Amino acid sequence: MKICYKLLLVVSIVTFLFVTGCSNQSSGEGNQNQGGEDSSTLVIAQSADLTTMDPQNSLSTNGERVFRNMFSRLFYWDQNMEIQPDAVAEYEQIDDVTWKFTLKEGITFHNGDPLTAEDVKFSLERVMNDQTLKEFPYFKQLKEVNVLDDLNVEIITDGPMPTLLKVLAKSGSDILPKDYFEEVGLEEFQKNPIGSGPYKYVEWVHDDRVVLEPYKDYFGDAPKWENVEVRSITESSTRVGELLTGGVDIATDIPPNEWERVDGDESVELVTGDTTRVMLLVMRTTEGAVTSDPKVRKAIDLAIDQQAIVDSLLKGTGVPVRSRVPEGVFGSNPDLYDSYVYDVEKAKDLLAEAGYEDGVEIKLTAPKGRYPLDGEVAQLIASMLGKVGITVNLELLESSAFLDVYNSNSNKEMIMIGLADGLFDASYSLVHYTKDRAKGQTDYYNKEVEQLYNDAGRNLDEEERLEQYKRIQEIVAEERPHIFLYQQGMNYGVSEDINFKPRLDAVFLFDDITTK
Amino acid sequence: MRKYLIRRLLQIIPVIFIITFVVFVLVYMAGDPVALMLPEDASEADREALRAALGLNDPFIVQYFRFLLDLGQGNFGTSFRYNQDALPLVLERLPATFELAVASMVVAIMMSIPLGIYSARKRNSFVDLFITGGSVLGKAMPNFWLGIILILLFAVNIQFFPVSGRGSLLHLVLPAITLGTGVAAEMTRLIRSSMLEILGQDYMRTAKSKGVNNGRLIYKHAFRNSLIPVVTIMGLQVSQLVSGALITESVFAWPGLGQLLVQAVNGRDMAVVQASVFVIAILVIVINLLTDIVYRLLDPRINYS
Repeated sequence: MKICYKLLLVVSIVTFLFVTGCSNQSSGEGNQNQGGEDSSTLVIAQSADLTTMDPQNSLSTNGERVFRNMFSRLFYWDQNMEIQPDAVAEYEQIDDVTWKFTLKEGITFHNGDPLTAEDVKFSLERVMNDQTLKEFPYFKQLKEVNVLDDLNVEIITDGPMPTLLKVLAKSGSDILPKDYFEEVGLEEFQKNPIGSGPYKYVEWVHDDRVVLEPYKDYFGDAPKWENVEVRSITESSTRVGELLTGGVDIATDIPPNEWERVDGDESVELVTGDTTRVMLLVMRTTEGAVTSDPKVRKAIDLAIDQQAIVDSLLKGTGVPVRSRVPEGVFGSNPDLYDSYVYDVEKAKDLLAEAGYEDGVEIKLTAPKGRYPLDGEVAQLIASMLGKVGITVNLELLESSAFLDVYNSNSNKEMIMIGLADGLFDASYSLVHYTKDRAKGQTDYYNKEVEQLYNDAGRNLDEEERLEQYKRIQEIVAEERPHIFLYQQGMNYGVSEDINFKPRLDAVFLFDDITTK
Repeated sequence: MRKYLIRRLLQIIPVIFIITFVVFVLVYMAGDPVALMLPEDASEADREALRAALGLNDPFIVQYFRFLLDLGQGNFGTSFRYNQDALPLVLERLPATFELAVASMVVAIMMSIPLGIYSARKRNSFVDLFITGGSVLGKAMPNFWLGIILILLFAVNIQFFPVSGRGSLLHLVLPAITLGTGVAAEMTRLIRSSMLEILGQDYMRTAKSKGVNNGRLIYKHAFRNSLIPVVTIMGLQVSQLVSGALITESVFAWPGLGQLLVQAVNGRDMAVVQASVFVIAILVIVINLLTDIVYRLLDPRINYS
C-alpha cells in the first residue's frame, strides 16, 4: 500500500511540474495573443490553416493571404484589382510569343541574396515542369524562360498568350531563391521559407498560427505592421468570439448564423466583399436526359427566382447573375450581371410544350456545408421548381462525397456547385463550354462557342477578345448548359479600429490594411 | 510478471497490423484525395496527372504492399496535405494533446473524487441526488456544445479566459474543463458505487466497531479499496480523451493531434491518418498495460503469472 502512495505522489508531482512547465515556457507566446489590441500588430483569423510553405503547391486563398506578403512576383494585383509591376521595372512584347522583362535593381531575398533573372527562371521552370505542384495546370502555356543577363529575362509562350501577365501575377508565380532552395531542399525550405516580399517568416505552428515580421530591406514601400499573425481557428463561433473580445482584427468566413452576432456588436463590423465564385446548376444535356431538351432547361431557369434566393436566404450578400464571369473579371458581360429571368407562367407553358404537362421528376445533387447556405439554397430551388410541376429529387451530400459525384460525372440531371476564377480572366471560366471539357459533364457542344473560345485564347487584341468572350456568354445564357444562380459574397468580421476593404480575390495585402 | 509483460508486448504486433489494415481500407474506400486537392473545375487530365504522380492509380494491393514495405522501415509515407513526412507531423502535435489530456484528467480527478465520496457517504440525500443527476448531465453534454457555451460565458461575456489558442495556463482552463467534464461524470458515478459497495463490507463494520475515526475510515479503509474499478475506468478513459480531443481541439483552435487527425481524415491524407492512428494505438495499449500494472500495486492479491 505504501507503493500506491508513492506512486500517487510521483504522478501528482510530475503533473504539477508538467503543467507549470508548459505555462512558463510559453508565457511569452501568451502575450502575443493580446496582439489584436496592440496597434502595431495585425491578427487575422482564418477558417483553415495553410497546408504548406511552398507557394507553388498551395492553391488556396488561406495560403495566398500569407504568400502574397512573403514573396514577390513579376506582377501583382493591386487594391483595385488592376495588374501592376511588382519585381518588374519594365517589360516589352517582342513578338507574338516572346516577352522580355527587366527586373528592378536592388531587390534582395530575406537572407540578403540579390534577386536575379536566374531566380525567376528557376521559379517559373519549377512550376511549369513539375506536374505534382498544384499550381502546375495554370503554367502549362509557358514554354521557355531564358536568362538574358542578371536583370533581364525572356519568356517564350506556346502560341500567343493574352493571359501571360495575369499568370505572372497569380499565386504560384512567386519568385523563390534559387541558391537557397537548391542548397537546403524543399523540406528545409518549408521550415524556413525565404521570399523577397514585405514580410518575412518567423514561425508556423501547424493548425495554430503563422507569424510574420517586416523585412527592413524590402524594395518597395516600408512595411507598416510590426508583427502579423495569421491564426487558424476552424470553429466559426470561436473565430467570432476572438473577434468580439479583440483577440483578432479580421476574421474571415463569417457564416450566416453568426452575421447577427457580428453585426450587433459595436466594436466590430460585418464587411461583405464580392468573390469570383458563381453558384450554378450544371445541366446534363446528354441525349436521353430530361434536361437535354432546351425547353426544360429554360423552364427551370424561369422557375427559379434568383433575386428571392439572394434577398431571403443570403440577406443580400450575393448578386444574381446569368453568366459565370462576374464583374471585375476580364470578359464579363454587363448585360448578364445583376440580372435574372423569372416567369412562372412561361415556365409552365414551356414544360407543357416539351410534353411534361403532367409534371416530371428531376434529380438535383447539391453540397451541404461546402458553401454558405448551400443546402438551404438547394431546398429553396427544389420548392420553386415544385411550383411549376417539376418534382425535385434532392440529394444533399457532405463536401467530399459531393466532390466524388461531381468529379466522376455520376450526377443525374442537375448538380449545384460554386465555381471560382483563379485567373480573373474569362478564358479560365469559359473553358467549360468547350467540347473536351463538357464531355461527360454537361455534354454541351456549340460550334460557334468552340470557335470563339479557341480564337480568343490566342487573340492578343484585348478589345476583340473581350467581345468574343461576351458573345460566348450570350450564347451560353440562352442555351443553358449551366443555369446560373448568384455570385457568392465573402463575409469578414472586422474590428472597428481597422480600415479594411475586401478584394475580389479575397487576398490581403497587409499594408493595404490600416489602423484608424 | 516478466513473462506476462513480454506476452502483452508481443500482442501489440498483430493489433497494430490489424489496425493499419483497417485504416488503410477505410481511407482507400473514402475516395480520391486528389479531388480535394485541386479546385472544383480542374480538368480530368490535371487530376489524372496528379494522381499518377502520387502513385494513386496503382491497384489497391500494390498500394497496400508499398505502404507495408515503407512501414517496415518506420516510414508512414508523405502527407498529401503538408507534403512532408507524416510521423514528425504527428509527433510534433503530441505535447499539445498530452498537455490537454493531463489537464483534463486533473480536472476530472479533482471533481470526481470529492463528489463521488461525498455522494456515497450521504447516500440518497438531496445532495447525492443532485450529484448523481449532475453526472448524468455531464456525461450527456456534447463536448462541442459545452466548449462553445464556456467560451461564450467565460471568455466573451465575462472576458476572463482567452477564447482560443494555446499558450499560458489560462488558455488551458476552458479546454481542460470541456474535455474533463465527461470523464469526471463517469468517474464520479463509479467512485460512488464502488464506495457504496465497500462501505457495506464486513471489514468496514469491524473497523468502525474497533473505533477507527471517521476520516481514517473513509479515506484509508474505504476509498483505497474502492480504487481498483476507478483505475480501470481511468485507463479506459484515455481513449475517450483522445476522441474528445478531436472535437475540443477544433473548438478551441488547440494545435494538437485531434485537429491534425480530423483534417487528415477530411483530406483523405492516408499517411497522416495512419501515423496518427498508429501513435494513438500505441499510447492506448501502453496505458492499458500500465493500468494492469497499477492494479497489482493497488491489490497484491492480483497475480498475473
